[in-house]
Amino acid sequence: MGRKEYYKVKTMLLELKNINKSFGEKKVLTGVSFSCEGGKAFGLLGRNGAGKTTSIRILMDVFSQDSGEVLLDGRPVDYSKVRLGYLPEERGLYPQKIIFDQLIYFAALKGMSKKDAQKACDYWLERLGMSQYKKKRLDTLSKGNQQKIQLITAVAHDPDIVILDEPFSGLDPVNAMLLKDVVKELIAQGKIVLFSSHQMSYIEEFCDSIAILNGGKVAVSGDLREIKHRYVRDKLVVRAADTTPIERDFGESCTRLEEGVIIIKLSSENEKKETMARIAEKYDIDEIKVYEPSLNDIFVEYAGEVSE
Amino acid sequence: MKQFSKIFSFELMNYMKNKVFVGVTLFLVIAIAVVMFFPRVSGLFKEEAPSVPDGESTNDAESLENLGDRPIMLIKSEEDAEGVSSLFATAFPEYCVKTYTEEISALKETILSGEAECAFVLCGYTSYTYYVNNLSIYDMNTAVADEVLRTAYQMSAMTELGMTPEEAAGVMSVAVSGSVESLGVDQMDNYWYTYIMIFALYMVILLYGQMVATGVATEKSSRAMELLITSVKPVAMMFGKVMAACLAGLIQLVAIFGSAILFYSLNRSYWGENPIIASIFDMPPALFGYMILFFILGFLIYAFMFGAVGSTASKLEDINTSVMPITLMFVAGFMVVMFSFASGEVDNLLMKVCSFVPFTSSMAMFTRIAMSTVPWYEIAASVAILSASVVGIGVISAKIYRMGVLLYGTPPKLGAILKSIWKA
Repeated sequence: MGRKEYYKVKTMLLELKNINKSFGEKKVLTGVSFSCEGGKAFGLLGRNGAGKTTSIRILMDVFSQDSGEVLLDGRPVDYSKVRLGYLPEERGLYPQKIIFDQLIYFAALKGMSKKDAQKACDYWLERLGMSQYKKKRLDTLSKGNQQKIQLITAVAHDPDIVILDEPFSGLDPVNAMLLKDVVKELIAQGKIVLFSSHQMSYIEEFCDSIAILNGGKVAVSGDLREIKHRYVRDKLVVRAADTTPIERDFGESCTRLEEGVIIIKLSSENEKKETMARIAEKYDIDEIKVYEPSLNDIFVEYAGEVSE
Repeated sequence: MKQFSKIFSFELMNYMKNKVFVGVTLFLVIAIAVVMFFPRVSGLFKEEAPSVPDGESTNDAESLENLGDRPIMLIKSEEDAEGVSSLFATAFPEYCVKTYTEEISALKETILSGEAECAFVLCGYTSYTYYVNNLSIYDMNTAVADEVLRTAYQMSAMTELGMTPEEAAGVMSVAVSGSVESLGVDQMDNYWYTYIMIFALYMVILLYGQMVATGVATEKSSRAMELLITSVKPVAMMFGKVMAACLAGLIQLVAIFGSAILFYSLNRSYWGENPIIASIFDMPPALFGYMILFFILGFLIYAFMFGAVGSTASKLEDINTSVMPITLMFVAGFMVVMFSFASGEVDNLLMKVCSFVPFTSSMAMFTRIAMSTVPWYEIAASVAILSASVVGIGVISAKIYRMGVLLYGTPPKLGAILKSIWKA
């Protein structure tokens, strides 16, 4: 019981410090550091093979790192005390076993008593609208429903740290909404929620801070708003009924975003103020503002290429 | 430890709920029951007390039935054809013996046409030609004929030297009485149950080893492993799985052997004095204890290896090729044991070596204990080496497992595996 109270009182802080890891000759992680706080969601981004899964596995003590530390509240993580919940990207349970039996088994492996496990699994089955499948075999379910069952294995044991790897892939909009509610609830409960995803919109919606991995190194990490703000603000968005005169005058630095909206890239951030004033004065426009980078822009910038 | 017991009970329940496992066990128990109750039901053996259970020795009954159409054996002799024929008729009760006087070529025709089965063409008592259409490897006729003719020759020689036929017959039929007292192990007594036990050991280890490997590979290919490996220590995982398989195997063995013993004791009187069956069930309890010990240790060492290999396969289809080296090693050990066992020379050098090598010692040492007298310190050394190896192989397997389960794609080469164990 002491465990629960301890973590409730204080916001948890999970830190990875200067993690290095090689598999044979191949260096997979180089000096990876980032930190995630309880009650907030953290987004771990990167292209395929950037080292996300390896980082997660080190974090979960599946492999040990060659050097570096994984700290919880400043101390090395005691895996016998901290409960971890994991939704792997590669989904899969026992296809031919009864759903309830395997949920209980996985919850028990995470340290729950049989009674608690039954109670928790019943609650989550109900919550996700899966109660009628309780006694069915897993392989009789659709892919989306199997994914919901898999989600239960990640959260049923009331973990302190929840790691969700591509949680939204394969879910229909209704189920995605259901999952969003669950994630929001987990965050509200003060848990550390770590996302890994290629779907930037979800990351933007949930995550306060992110880390983008590129080639086994952290390309950028920190508070998402700060990162966005740090992003070079050298683009203007102009909305006008007729954008042709502006396009004609600015030539190649102009790109049309959609009908009636164009983006003008400036040669330097300093020209921003002066150019804005000039455009507002010279042309008939509806709106002009500094372009706010999307997470997608940041990702492309730091991770190197457009994601899926 | 807590995780271990959870995995252990989950895996064990998987076996117990497995329809094939339950079905096979029940089938074998029923089959044993049928065999064991057979004499009681048929009453066959009770009436013919001295007979043997197998069909092969019921020649008497068979020949009586076939009295009318026994195969024909022809005897052609220059001298005393009638006397020789009557001797042969006594020695070959299963044949209808007839004298023959035609030419050899006609005789061959008769045999080829199938009218007669075989023929002896004698030239005195000491030389003959045996004619038969197809010579079976089980054809003992010439050996019997040799004996008949030798006796006839000796009898006639003795009567020529002045003995009465009765005196000569007395000399010829003198009986030697003797008794055997084995100070060590009587191989005759131990033969059958040792044979059964080695076979059971062989079957169970291979079967369950395969099941462990398949189980691991299934978890890996269904990706349940992704979750398992993040919830549980690989050592707990590996030991839980293997121990559960071991106990399931043991339960099956006990169910089968136990029911055999139970059904036999219920029907003991009906089996009469059948020597083979009696020797199987009169095994010394100590030997049974050794069997259990060597079964557990031998099983564990192979199950660990099977589990480790299973973890390196990405697909179920890869399992068969991956486990091949282990299976071959095991079969080679089995062959050495079986050949030595069949030859009766269980203490040869190869067997001595094998009884200390952990991969073969479960079968080899057990065979030596059953079929010969092994000093206690050799048994102790063998068991100690085997136990230590079980722990060692278990830990190494868990390391391979930890690495293997997260590797997908082509199974790693043996060299790469060994290298990474060294580093781990």
